[in-house]
Amino acid sequence: MKRSYTMFIILIVFLLFTTGCWNRRELNELAITMAIGLDRTKDGQYLVTAQVVNPGELATGKGGGGSGGSPTIIYQAKGETVFEAIRKMTKESPRKIYPSHLRVLVIGESLAKKGIGKPLDLLSRDWEIRSDFYIVVAKGMKAAEILKVPTSLEKIPANQIFDTLKVSATAWSATSFESLDELISDIVSEGKQPVLTGIQADIKGDEETSLSKQNGEMIDPPARLRFKGLAVFNDDKLVGWLNEKQSKTYTVITNKEKSTVVNIPCPKGGKAVYEVKKSNTKIKGKIKNGKPEIDLNIRVEGNLGEVECHIDLTKPETIEKLEKIYEKEAKKFFINSIKQVQKNEKVDIFGFGEAIHRADPEAWKKLKKDWDKNFENLPVNIEVQGEIRNVGTVGNSFLDKIK
Amino acid sequence: MGSRDIVENFKISARQFAILVILFSIGTTILVIPGVMAQEVKQDAWIAAVIGTGIGLLLVALYIAVGRMFPTKTLVEINETLFGKWLGKAVSLTFILFTLYSTVQLLFYVGSFLTTQIMPDTPIEAINILFACILIMGVRLGLEPLARSAELLFPIFVFLFLVLVGSIFLPPVQFKFENIQPVFETGIKPMIHAVFLFSSIFSLPLIVLLMIFPVSVNQPKAAEKNFFIGILIGGICLIIIIALTILVLGADSSARQTYPSYLLARKLNVGDFLQRIEAIMAIMWIITIYFKMAFYFYATVIGLAQTLNMKDYRPLTVPFGMIVVSLSILIHPNVVHSTTFDKEIWPLYASTYGLVLPILLLAINVFRKKIHQK
Repeated sequence: MKRSYTMFIILIVFLLFTTGCWNRRELNELAITMAIGLDRTKDGQYLVTAQVVNPGELATGKGGGGSGGSPTIIYQAKGETVFEAIRKMTKESPRKIYPSHLRVLVIGESLAKKGIGKPLDLLSRDWEIRSDFYIVVAKGMKAAEILKVPTSLEKIPANQIFDTLKVSATAWSATSFESLDELISDIVSEGKQPVLTGIQADIKGDEETSLSKQNGEMIDPPARLRFKGLAVFNDDKLVGWLNEKQSKTYTVITNKEKSTVVNIPCPKGGKAVYEVKKSNTKIKGKIKNGKPEIDLNIRVEGNLGEVECHIDLTKPETIEKLEKIYEKEAKKFFINSIKQVQKNEKVDIFGFGEAIHRADPEAWKKLKKDWDKNFENLPVNIEVQGEIRNVGTVGNSFLDKIK
Repeated sequence: MGSRDIVENFKISARQFAILVILFSIGTTILVIPGVMAQEVKQDAWIAAVIGTGIGLLLVALYIAVGRMFPTKTLVEINETLFGKWLGKAVSLTFILFTLYSTVQLLFYVGSFLTTQIMPDTPIEAINILFACILIMGVRLGLEPLARSAELLFPIFVFLFLVLVGSIFLPPVQFKFENIQPVFETGIKPMIHAVFLFSSIFSLPLIVLLMIFPVSVNQPKAAEKNFFIGILIGGICLIIIIALTILVLGADSSARQTYPSYLLARKLNVGDFLQRIEAIMAIMWIITIYFKMAFYFYATVIGLAQTLNMKDYRPLTVPFGMIVVSLSILIHPNVVHSTTFDKEIWPLYASTYGLVLPILLLAINVFRKKIHQK
């Protein structure tokens, strides 16, 4: 009997300890942060902007609840370090910033030029932050300005940015989503430099209305968020921007392309559209006569999506001809873009250095010291193999009947 | 001798012994080792693990040879038989210090892992005291209940391991073979160092099992075979985890993480709906580390009881449990101190007992036999 009493008491003591209430944080004590913006102020401090969800306003759809306020709130604080600034936000926020649901990190261009390495340390160290958010650069503006734009399709602007990036990366492939781990790997890698997608806020009309909640209520909102180009980094410093063509080349070569559409000229004038469904690139490095060289083998599969010219789609030869045209055009497209990057940005964003490293670790040891120089004059051989599988729901275009 | 009864009351089956070997060898290794290995040999870490497992098999052969000399004696008793009474007791005491330190170190791991990754606001004392309570409870109950609970928890471990590994191979596929290329890039020297580090955590501590093997095992012959099988399975599990960590995270990112395999589980994503399964990793690790810790602690109290010719080891469990808790908080001023210790001092410490001691025992035994023959 005595034994069972002691066991009982021990169990009760255990219950007190193991309720899991030690670290409890109720939903109404959290400032759920969806986006964080990092900027550099003139006096060299960080300006951290946090976009926090206002849960009461989000529930408006289901009748009642919410007083018509904005679904998100911005908190801002300055600090010499990022962590300091985030903690300082408690001076104006009634709840502590809770970053576990972070979707987007926006970095202001001026900070990106100075280097993004230092502020990223906190994000990789803090236990509350998951590494599954996307990182974008505010092109030509401050991150804070991006986060102040209200959106309508997604009530929370951070979600709008996140989803837009995801959709456009899978359907248009001129943007690239980079997670924190990939970014850090690229920053420290000697054979590949990081690239981040750029974002811009286009604001027409007066700021008063366009940055208010009204913006989300208009059919043609004067303020919009738009992705624009890719930011090229040398280590952790922004050195330039890629245009659309170069961006597409980047996603193809780094195997980030999911799907996109390409205009190809028809043999007798006019245009047809090739819809890329699958794309696979193999990068092979080699050392030829003591010099590095890169072989790219790009295999693309897709459909004919639109025909705006006179071609006979009932014949297999036409398809073959179109494939040949696509291959020629694509090759030209890729070579030009790579050359431009080699000439203008002069940093290896494609990971050619890593390919050389894999192929010949010994040679790489010598080459890596000034790889950027080697990259500038690196010969790149491209082989494109394009295949057209389907032509859509119709055979020949009705355009043939129009004279 | 009164102390004989202490161990003879317990008997575990060969199957239970195999499970204990697997859990013991995976133990702490699963969470920490991918990072340590990646720091040493980058993308070739899995090769070091393959070599390390091979060496583990050799070490097991060595331990079995030691066990065969005196099938009815624990390591502590063998010490006394071969080194003589007083020297033997002295050696045993240092061995007990080694197992005590290991218990403390493991408890430190539990506390620091849970407070950095899962419950940062909970005081480390609360976690360590609770964990030590289960530890004391398990060891007080004795070897058989421990072995049986290992048998119960082992299927859970296997299931979680398969879920973890299986989900990596489901789409969207997240590993890149580029991450382990170029193969064999690192030189011989770092490789030897990495293998040494791997062995020091994976196979050298198995010497502690000589406190229960072959004394407390029912079928010593079958247990010998299972010793090999256990270490092989443990090694294969670790090779898989290390290889997957590097395939998914890359050598560089694995080397930077304190707990890379935890991050691995964190990044897994099966078809966008099975996500954030890092708790699986934590549960697996808690299961394995518990049994490793329990055997260190068991060896400590049994060893001390036998050295001091006590009739029962149970009176030692609570006071030593308290010592373990307080030492676990005092032993390392910070995590950096602990990792440096693990890399620089632990391998030597572990090989003193895991390698030098058994070889010495074997040599003395051969020497004694020769003298007897004359």
